[in-house]
Amino acid sequence: MATLLVIIVFALFLTAILTGGYNKKFFARVKDTKVWDWITTVDHKKIGILYFISGIFFFLIGGIEAIFMRLQLAFPDSNLFVGDVFNQLLTMHGTTMIFLAAMPMIFGLMNAVVPLQIGARDVAFPFVNALGFWLFFFGGLLLNLSWIFGGAPDAGWTSYTSLALNNYSPGPGVDYYVLGLQIAGIGTLIGGLNFIATIINMRAPGMSFLRLPMFTWTVFVTSALILFAFPPLTVALLLLMFDRIFGANFFDYAMGGSTVIWEHLFWIFGHPEVYIVILPAFGVMSEVISTFSRKRLFGYTSMVFATVLIGFLGFMVWVHHMFTVGLGPVSNSVFAVATMAIAVPTGIKVFNWLFTMWGGEIRFTTPMLWAVGFIPTFVMGGMTGVMLALPPADYQYQDSYFVVAHFHYVLVGGTVFGLFAGLYYWWPKMFGKMLSERLGKWHFWLFAIGFHLTFFPQHFLGLFGMPRRVFTYHSNLGLDTLNLLSSIGVIGMALGTIILGVAIYRSFLSKEQAPADPWDGRTLEWTIASPPPEYNFAQTPLIRSYDAFWVAKEQKTQIEPAEPLAPIHMPSSSYLPIMMSLGLFIAGFGFITRGIEVSILGVAITLLMMFLRSFEQDHGYHIDPRPIREEKGAKV
Amino acid sequence: MANTTKKSGIGKHIISFAFMIALTIAAFYLVINNVVSKGWILPLILILAVIQVILQLFTFMHLDQKGSNYYTFFMIVGIFVAVISAIGIIVM
Repeated sequence: MATLLVIIVFALFLTAILTGGYNKKFFARVKDTKVWDWITTVDHKKIGILYFISGIFFFLIGGIEAIFMRLQLAFPDSNLFVGDVFNQLLTMHGTTMIFLAAMPMIFGLMNAVVPLQIGARDVAFPFVNALGFWLFFFGGLLLNLSWIFGGAPDAGWTSYTSLALNNYSPGPGVDYYVLGLQIAGIGTLIGGLNFIATIINMRAPGMSFLRLPMFTWTVFVTSALILFAFPPLTVALLLLMFDRIFGANFFDYAMGGSTVIWEHLFWIFGHPEVYIVILPAFGVMSEVISTFSRKRLFGYTSMVFATVLIGFLGFMVWVHHMFTVGLGPVSNSVFAVATMAIAVPTGIKVFNWLFTMWGGEIRFTTPMLWAVGFIPTFVMGGMTGVMLALPPADYQYQDSYFVVAHFHYVLVGGTVFGLFAGLYYWWPKMFGKMLSERLGKWHFWLFAIGFHLTFFPQHFLGLFGMPRRVFTYHSNLGLDTLNLLSSIGVIGMALGTIILGVAIYRSFLSKEQAPADPWDGRTLEWTIASPPPEYNFAQTPLIRSYDAFWVAKEQKTQIEPAEPLAPIHMPSSSYLPIMMSLGLFIAGFGFITRGIEVSILGVAITLLMMFLRSFEQDHGYHIDPRPIREEKGAKV
Repeated sequence: MANTTKKSGIGKHIISFAFMIALTIAAFYLVINNVVSKGWILPLILILAVIQVILQLFTFMHLDQKGSNYYTFFMIVGIFVAVISAIGIIVM
């Protein structure tokens, strides 16, 4: 406590010196820097980039954890990462990849693309958008600091009780999981709310719901899923926090609690969560396949219907993660049938993609390669999903590598392929630079072959009886060759990712500016410059059809503006979101180290920032229309 | 946005506020004075609570005004999901 006080006093002292008598220009100088511009930004395009870059960063961390695990499992009886360390690796790999890699990369694409696709100048609540990012970021940071301070969580990404209670998981590991995910979860929840409000209220005139691009539709359904799925997680984490930190007994069977309630709450959140990460990937695929087949998306209305239906059914199937808990044959059968029903809307989507390509002028660019590679890979994951949905068979598969193979086929083959397709497709729009097609193709082939080599043998490992989450196996059990093959496949995925890094590095170095419409696109984001100006559209467009830009190109006309050129209202940037999140970060650290004083300090910072925000009199600023007109004149 | 569609006098708010206070007093009265048997107290105060929530939503959260279709829709979906989850957990 004394150390903390000394540090606080020292920090205040330093601030006083720098801002007060000695250096009056300090603040002005800080405000001029690029860093200040980025950490206070409320611009959806910049926040999208921040989300995307931090998603890639956590993707690399999760990937390194995966490489360590495959190193350990490459040979029988090896002792590289044994026992507790392996448990920490597998827990952090799962948690990082789902919450800190897939989610932010999806939010990155959502932020970068959705307002442009609906013809809006920003999201509905730019301030909340920034707050959502910083909460996610500090939550992720808190979770990953566990490696340095006291050991990472080791109870699996599902963190089942009773294993996750103090008796069986002593030390701060699971506390990091609880607090880190709680803070990141608040960020995700408000991000989802923001996109619901944006898509309902900010659509350009004439952009009716059935003219929305497919990606925006999937983002809309995903946001609704976030809205309804994250509160159960919040409640579950809160209960676990009280059990671990304040000695409550919600999950302690001996004290009248219920262990299974955690599993229920976690999977009521957890199953919609997997649709939260897959639906935007479906949306990306729909855009990419339609663009590179130069055809209208086949069965648009049925695609919308299928998306909504998948979102709806996603809440009715959580017990299929709990078939072996022993809830009885009736509940197992009901949830098995509901689970298999999801194959129907998913099948509608797959066939619609195939029919979109059928007879189209297909161009195999890098995004299209990812999209085409996605279809068979995802269908394989879906097939094993239907196999797992049969309760009697599930008793055999459960807790084996068959399950690991299944969910990597849907999460990597679905979500990650989708995110890579979206990355190559929208990179020029986000950064104004093209990614190299040649390197992109190397990336695709190395990653796709490596992926199948890694995870296809795992189906058989599971059927041969290798349990998941176990750090080694003995030789001569028939598991050696397949495990080695699986580990060799990782090399392909790692090389592919390195090539992606090289491609990104080169794109930043290159001087060549990307054109506004590099892919001959169909939707509104391709009508404006790459990267778009901060106000996106000088005049809000008037929408008369689905694929409005494509229709305009076909008819050799332009999209009409819906308003005269007028001063454009912009929101001011703000340092409050990062400070609010920092407050919660400090509070989280306080709870983990059981230093309640520190937590109070952190919460006080957050409340102070909320107070400041409530009484802030900042109505933003206007951008003068005249420079825009000149710019427009220069372009025509 | 659509707040102007229906003239909402201050009278309606006061009446509904009085109703809510009456409902709260009724709930307290039921619990304190044992007018009904023990088994009936919980369902009765739950019913009173639901009536109060509906009043709150319609008068003070403006659900009675036009242009609130999205809110109603999302609330119905939310209630639906919550009820299914809760019943599922209790029954199983």
